[in-house]
Amino acid sequence: MATFFGEVVPAYSRAVEEGEDDSEEEENEEDREIRNEIQKKREVHVHWNPEITKSIDTSSAKAFQCSDLILAAGPNAAGFLSAFVLSSGSWETVGSVTLWNERCKTTANQQLPAGPSCVFHRPTDKPDVLICQCTCHVAEDQLFQWAEKVLGSIQKTGLTVTVLSDCSVAEYKTPDSVSTISVPFLRALKTRHYKEAPHCPLLEQPNVITGLPAAVLSHCQVFGIPAVLYQCYSDVVKPDSVTMEAYKPTVSCRSLSRVMKLDSSESVDILKKLVRVNEAQSNLYT
Amino acid sequence: MTARYDRAITVFSPDGHLFQVEYAQEAVKKGSTAVGIRGKNIVVLGVEKKSVAKLQEERTVRKICALDEHVCMAFAGLTADARIVINRARVECQSHRLTVEDPVTVEYITRYIATLKQRYTQSNGRRPFGISALIVGFDYDGTPRLYQTDPSGTYHAWKANAIGRSAKTVREFLEKNYTEEAIATDKEAMKLAIKALLEVVQSGGKNIELAIIGRNQPLKILESKEIETLVAEIEKEKEEEAEKKKQKKTT
Repeated sequence: MATFFGEVVPAYSRAVEEGEDDSEEEENEEDREIRNEIQKKREVHVHWNPEITKSIDTSSAKAFQCSDLILAAGPNAAGFLSAFVLSSGSWETVGSVTLWNERCKTTANQQLPAGPSCVFHRPTDKPDVLICQCTCHVAEDQLFQWAEKVLGSIQKTGLTVTVLSDCSVAEYKTPDSVSTISVPFLRALKTRHYKEAPHCPLLEQPNVITGLPAAVLSHCQVFGIPAVLYQCYSDVVKPDSVTMEAYKPTVSCRSLSRVMKLDSSESVDILKKLVRVNEAQSNLYT
Repeated sequence: MTARYDRAITVFSPDGHLFQVEYAQEAVKKGSTAVGIRGKNIVVLGVEKKSVAKLQEERTVRKICALDEHVCMAFAGLTADARIVINRARVECQSHRLTVEDPVTVEYITRYIATLKQRYTQSNGRRPFGISALIVGFDYDGTPRLYQTDPSGTYHAWKANAIGRSAKTVREFLEKNYTEEAIATDKEAMKLAIKALLEVVQSGGKNIELAIIGRNQPLKILESKEIETLVAEIEKEKEEEAEKKKQKKTT
């Protein structure tokens, strides 16, 4: 169905068909099978390394101890952590999440910046800090599973969650014209139990957070885990060094200050590398 | 509200915006920075070179193009749109020469490009060109000119301007540093362009390309060695400035 302006809108029929009972039952069997298969295909799988699997199995709550979980959702948030956190000190990969949806087909053993992936890292000298870089798209029906399975493996007592996420400034609603705001900028959202003051203004109404950060924050609010989200609104959604550097004010946050090194010279090199890989592929803009 | 008024560009929104044209201006900001400076006997165009893939031929990725012997332009925005505009402008320059037996004035060709861009903001089913251009050159009476056009089809003359990513930062730098003595000689004007670009370019002099036109001289694109020499001079001057300030503080 084409509208006046030429856009095509899918029109769904509301007619209800009354089928015979027999054929309905048969179809149900098949439908059920298909549904089960799709559900299995779309299941979210969390893989932990043997050490963590052991501590999960041996604990009474079926969860391992962690005091700070830092989650980066989006290429710029992940790039920021790569450049300013993972570049100094020694880190080990302790887990990954694999899932399948139309936009993202991850397999285990994928490393950044090769393709979309979701990987967990831990510093060898501070095993109670966990960093997650998630650059794959998590579909709406998988968000709940992701949050349940990942946060379900971590003990809730003593846990603080920090989420960094990218968003396009086109989704930011404000009465002022967007051209007057200097982009990129940060906005924060926190759960009731988070007592520290966020290091940027809180997200104003009527803006909403969607996707993985929202699922994680909702889970933390329900289970009383202190959590804060820093959303970076930028006009560039691909990896971009200016957007990655916009996350720098979060260094004052207690969780991040434990692992972030802002003045490392390697950070600049890593930033350049992350951006260069992406820039050279695109000839659209000169 | 914007969602209903940005489908067809010929539609004004209730508060008078042409959203497609404004969005086209956002597309310009995705291109790398270009700066133009009008000196006394020289016009300078400096651009931030785009990083080239390993297997790509570098000389086919150009932001500065000659439109005629005495006019050249730098653009920021969609590469393909720029190619179309440049081709049309080049044809118009030659057509003008043959018809009127005079080379185009910089203002004439700028007006031609701007009119072309404006036409695309007012016809149904077409989107605006997603480029801004800096057009420099000398008129036949020897006056240096610098013009800037944008996707809406407006054009203005400037003494110095910048377009593309971080254009605002560069323009603020130029507003502070464009003085009569800063453009006193050709070399000073070139150094001012490089200094303006160094404010925003990420890897220093290696990623800068400079083109100059002198009065009655053809377009010259500087080699990387020449740019490196100028960058070295600029760094030396900066160090000398810093030294002087230190000495002033101690005495």
